[in-house]
Amino acid sequence: MDLLAQGFAVALEPQHLFLALAGCALGTLIGALPGLGPVNGVALMIPLTFNFSLSATAALILLVSIYYGCMYGGRISSILLNIPGDEPAMMTTLDGFPMAQQGRGGEALGLTGVASFVGALVATVGLVLFAPVLVSFAIRFGPAEYFALFVLAFATIGGVTGGHLAKSFLAACLGLLLGTVGIDAVSSVPRYTFGWYELYDGIDFIVALVGLFAISECLVFLEDSHQGRKPTMILGSALPGVRTAWRCRGSIGRSSVLGFVAGVLPGAGAALGSFLSYTLERRWQGTRGNFGKGDPHGVAAPEAGNNAAAGGALIPMLSLGIPGSGTTAILLALLLSMNITPGPLLFENQPELVWGLVAALFIGNLMLLALNIPLVGLFARVLRAPGWFLMPMVVMVAFVGVYSLGNSAFDLYMMLAFGVLGYVLRKLEIPTVPVVLGLLLGGQMEYNLRRAMSISGGDWSIIWNSGISVGIYLFAMTLLLGGLLFHWLVKWRM
Amino acid sequence: MSERAGAISDRLAGAVLLVVAVVAWWLSHDYTSGFGQTVGPGAFPRLVSVPLGLLSLYLIVRPGVNQRWPERSALLRQLSLLVLLMVYAGLIQPLGFLPTALLTVTLMIRLFGATWRQALPFGLLLTLGLYLLFEFALGMPLPDMPGLDW
Repeated sequence: MDLLAQGFAVALEPQHLFLALAGCALGTLIGALPGLGPVNGVALMIPLTFNFSLSATAALILLVSIYYGCMYGGRISSILLNIPGDEPAMMTTLDGFPMAQQGRGGEALGLTGVASFVGALVATVGLVLFAPVLVSFAIRFGPAEYFALFVLAFATIGGVTGGHLAKSFLAACLGLLLGTVGIDAVSSVPRYTFGWYELYDGIDFIVALVGLFAISECLVFLEDSHQGRKPTMILGSALPGVRTAWRCRGSIGRSSVLGFVAGVLPGAGAALGSFLSYTLERRWQGTRGNFGKGDPHGVAAPEAGNNAAAGGALIPMLSLGIPGSGTTAILLALLLSMNITPGPLLFENQPELVWGLVAALFIGNLMLLALNIPLVGLFARVLRAPGWFLMPMVVMVAFVGVYSLGNSAFDLYMMLAFGVLGYVLRKLEIPTVPVVLGLLLGGQMEYNLRRAMSISGGDWSIIWNSGISVGIYLFAMTLLLGGLLFHWLVKWRM
Repeated sequence: MSERAGAISDRLAGAVLLVVAVVAWWLSHDYTSGFGQTVGPGAFPRLVSVPLGLLSLYLIVRPGVNQRWPERSALLRQLSLLVLLMVYAGLIQPLGFLPTALLTVTLMIRLFGATWRQALPFGLLLTLGLYLLFEFALGMPLPDMPGLDW
């Protein structure tokens, strides 16, 4: 608790407070843009943050505020336009859009504002309680255990979130391979550079991320002409939503806890959080519910669930260095680019960063509630901005940001190449998040493997020779099988 | 019909990735370090290329479903965007930010479905807005026009 108090001292510094506010407002705005979810939003902002020459704490506060803000903002386009910004926001459209059609858009926005607040608050409290526990456990990890942890991250990344399992693993392997491009840090041997000196430093995560997410999004946008899509603008006041939220307090509470648990699990993330919350709530309400036709419970539950999951996903990212979702992977990319390796040592060596961030989350969440209840109408206006203006803006922000990282046109071509790769992968339904994870974690994974091997003198059995690593492998198997079973059940029920 | 197209593109993707895996595996043998390390620089890429190859084979044998590929007109728009952005990347250093951005942004707005009457003023607006934002508000220098760097 002492540490948290210190964290508040860090977060309340004027610069940090300002960045949190700016991040929250910007995040809500980005989240509200149709089709631009948190992943794209945060990816787009990363090169800019990097260029401000902010301290790591300040940069992280800004980006995490944007992240939380996007999670709040995502509901606006889901409810008013029936267009989810990303996968987790999909469940919100099911009852949110019908509510908006009935002229209760304002109420739905107010309600989800409160639900998002509670979800994020529960997750942040959970972060304070559970991250140190995980850290005290992980502090005993050696290189072999870390290697096992990375295997866990990859084994579970596709298992729970869905789709063709082989495709997720394929994507992870591709990412890991791309991660080896460049000069090997241990032996100084250039790998897969084909004589291009631009590749000697390896593939810049940030360039790859912006391409994979933001540029590929623009390519997807160009597919249809987007003519004549008018937002439902009968808003009404958001304030009655607060009273509705009180009526739905049970749904919000249950969904927050459920979403948080889903967020902490490696590889699950916010999509599972909102999906489970909605499904459970529909069960719980039974015939009393009016689900699919604008039931407030059906709007509150997934929003509380996905915001709680977004916060929960920060736990494995900060305490173990393994992100569970696309957005936390981007936050990890920021940290790695600033030469900060998340994990138990981060909590020991830079407590001001970790606890300052946590305190900033509490403050940011309050700011978001304030921004999102009375001012939600203002943010909803952004939906009127035409796509032909927004998308070129996104592209230009990406281009200017990435160019200023290294003042090289090569980075721009690289980003375009990753944009095309991201687009093709999306069309093939090969998930892009494992590619990013592979690219990010590959270096650490290889480093730990080689350290473990040099400790054992070349004996491969060190990889599975400790109780902890066996435990991790078993946990990975359980999650993987659980995910498969879950999938199979969902399919079978439908 | 789309189901069948899906199978073909998955097989194609599997074949491409299989080639990548084999090439990666092959090249990894060249990556050796002089001094006696237990695990050299080639081991990890080799370790990764094996599952990559096996999974690609699996994808060829058991393809999954895909999303529909864009129609010809959409494909043309996407290609134009890429060409436009490559032109931007090529011109940014010789010409500087303002002329390059004005050109690409205006054409890009047009590409995203606006009319010329919308594209011209908004292209100018967006270019100037971004210039002021990055150059002055955020303090990130953009490449200047040649002969204009005072």
